[in-house]
Amino acid sequence: MARTSVLTLFICFGAASAAAVTASPAGRADAASEDGGWTMPAKNYAATRYSGLTQINAQNARSLHPVWTFSTGVLAGHEGQPLVVGETMYVVTPWPNVLYAFDLRKEGFPLRWKYRPDVSSNALGVACCDAVNRGAFYLDGRIVYNLLDGHTVAVDARSGKELWKTAIADMGNGETVTMAPVVIRDRVIVGASGGEFGIYGWLKGLDLKTGQIVWTGHNMGPDADMLARPDTFKPPYDGGVDVGAKSWAGESWKTGGAPVWGWISYDPELDLIYYGTGNAAPYDPEARAGDNKWSASVLARRPGTGELLWAYQFTPHDNWDYDATGAMVLADLTIAGKPVKALVHFDKNGFAYTLDRATGKLLVAAPFAPVTWAKSVDLASARPVIEPGKQTGVSKGKVTGVCPSLEGAVSPASPPAYSPRTHLFYTSTNNLCMDYGAAHASHLRATPYIGVDFAYHPGPGGNLGAFIAWDAASGRKAWEDKESYPSWSGALVTAGDVVFYGTLDGWFKAVDAHSGQMLSKFKVGSGVVGNPIAYRGPDGKEYVAIYAGIGGDWALLAGDTRSDDPTDVREPAEFMKDIARHTSQGGIVWIFGL
Amino acid sequence: MRRSLVLGLLGCMALAACGRSAAPAAAGASPAPPAIAYEAHIAAGGIAPVGGVLENPHAGDAAVAKAGEQLFSAMNCDGCHNLGGSGWVGPSLADGRWRYGGADAEVFASIYYGRPKGMPAFGGVLGADGVWTLVTYIRSLPLPSDVPTESWEQP
Repeated sequence: MARTSVLTLFICFGAASAAAVTASPAGRADAASEDGGWTMPAKNYAATRYSGLTQINAQNARSLHPVWTFSTGVLAGHEGQPLVVGETMYVVTPWPNVLYAFDLRKEGFPLRWKYRPDVSSNALGVACCDAVNRGAFYLDGRIVYNLLDGHTVAVDARSGKELWKTAIADMGNGETVTMAPVVIRDRVIVGASGGEFGIYGWLKGLDLKTGQIVWTGHNMGPDADMLARPDTFKPPYDGGVDVGAKSWAGESWKTGGAPVWGWISYDPELDLIYYGTGNAAPYDPEARAGDNKWSASVLARRPGTGELLWAYQFTPHDNWDYDATGAMVLADLTIAGKPVKALVHFDKNGFAYTLDRATGKLLVAAPFAPVTWAKSVDLASARPVIEPGKQTGVSKGKVTGVCPSLEGAVSPASPPAYSPRTHLFYTSTNNLCMDYGAAHASHLRATPYIGVDFAYHPGPGGNLGAFIAWDAASGRKAWEDKESYPSWSGALVTAGDVVFYGTLDGWFKAVDAHSGQMLSKFKVGSGVVGNPIAYRGPDGKEYVAIYAGIGGDWALLAGDTRSDDPTDVREPAEFMKDIARHTSQGGIVWIFGL
Repeated sequence: MRRSLVLGLLGCMALAACGRSAAPAAAGASPAPPAIAYEAHIAAGGIAPVGGVLENPHAGDAAVAKAGEQLFSAMNCDGCHNLGGSGWVGPSLADGRWRYGGADAEVFASIYYGRPKGMPAFGGVLGADGVWTLVTYIRSLPLPSDVPTESWEQP
């Protein structure tokens, strides 16, 4: 069974082992190759979140209705997405990171088993923003995922028995783990959160069979720590020996953050993994003069050895907490009449980037949301043209009117989708600006290393968010659906040309992939910060699943959507006074069908 | 008993001030019992267990509260509890409601020894006097009137 499904996946993605590569990994349009499962966080290695299923389409989506729900029993923000492997659905909860396995063959989808790992509650004070988990990965009969307290586990997908558990991160140094791992052949790729704790950010490769750590590549520091060799590390714009250390004042790289809490994609033809790094720490940029490479960057590594091949920095010398941990979506595009193996990334900094994924060269950069910190991105140098008045630092005091806010023009936790049928990308966006006053921060292990006083304001137009379709070849918006609140869910697009997303005030929506026109919506009990998936059930029918469960960022949500602690009762956020009127916490798995 | 415990902690604070690691109640030949304050729990049989009782040597001292405000940032307390202790990923300290009790000694215990679900122990790095300085600041925060109702209807 496991073997079959692996083979099916390889056919589906048009991918094969590194030894025998046949085609591009970018999602194909043909439904014939669609296996109907969802075995990886982003559906495929290209991270397109595109399903070839066609039963649900723009004509019949109006009759979508819920067919099943399940309370996870957990209240923190339900980011991430379920997996469907054969006749089983797998769900990972936020801390305490329970893994549920539902039997989709039986009425009511009863549990086959649940796995409750021993996860330290200390992690709740080291995770910066909420106790989230962004999902699991299935390969070769194993479910692999991360625990908030710094462990990776592999669980037998059939029996639920723990196969191995490896300590990968150190909470005593401010590290927790919220990201979804990616498994490539015999390598499990993982990273740590901690951009708000001044960690020395890294990516690790573990052995799938034993869980042993095979390699560790840091995201900054000397070349040796970064697994960068002078003969093979070819960043397209910024070369030089030990640039990951020399681009930081003094030894500030040692506590410079650059965490890995987002997503990893993979091109089997190039045998490269792509992932984004988070903000540079602390939030006061004057404490770390220089470009601070490779924070707020995309890095390309070999999965087997971790070797660093290229890197590109979206936000040099990050002044505004602009993490680049959002998804790197791999798609084969036509740009100016030429076919391009592209990497597309929607950054917190408000620009959408299209790169050549073989080299890291910048092809297109255009704002997809209001931007005031930079005028543009210069294509020749590939650097942003900075607006001097929006530079921050302790000496500058309160800097007002910075767009986007430090919540990002899109949350990296809200991954986009790409349809090879419409050639459009679909993503949530936020329309928030901020005042940013940097403050001195002292590095004290296992405590926050931040240093900022900030306030959010609604961006132009007053709507706090939007869901958009984007043409990454031209850098233009195709359509936009305005949202009253920051849009915080991931996107799904299907070969039925339907796009799915959820809203912070608790609506799950289906819209037309060509026009954005609303097809159906349903109130799902709590705000949506998770990512929809599509799958074919054992009955042969297409279903769409989504988590409800607001959370993920208590700086954004102010805390008045919480009702679980009578000793912690907070005022609503100034810029968003009525979100708690529409939603409160609570993790629920929803399945919709026709 | 009460007095000696306070003295013991003050001695420990002095050690911390000299840059040495401060073990709780390190001074003296017979260490004081752990200064765990018993929170406002329900006592079985109606009898509260006996424990060390702590007194804040700086209670009500506005200058110490001011120093505590700076310490609140310097120790990165604001990174979890937000500026002014209004709450972020850690609970609000400014709403007059307390998960582990709001008396001086209870707040002291929360900071000195830490608490489950994420509150680190700061007694080691701060020593007792540093913790009392924070307690003095937190207890000085203006308390809003407790309004349990949040309404979106026009009156």
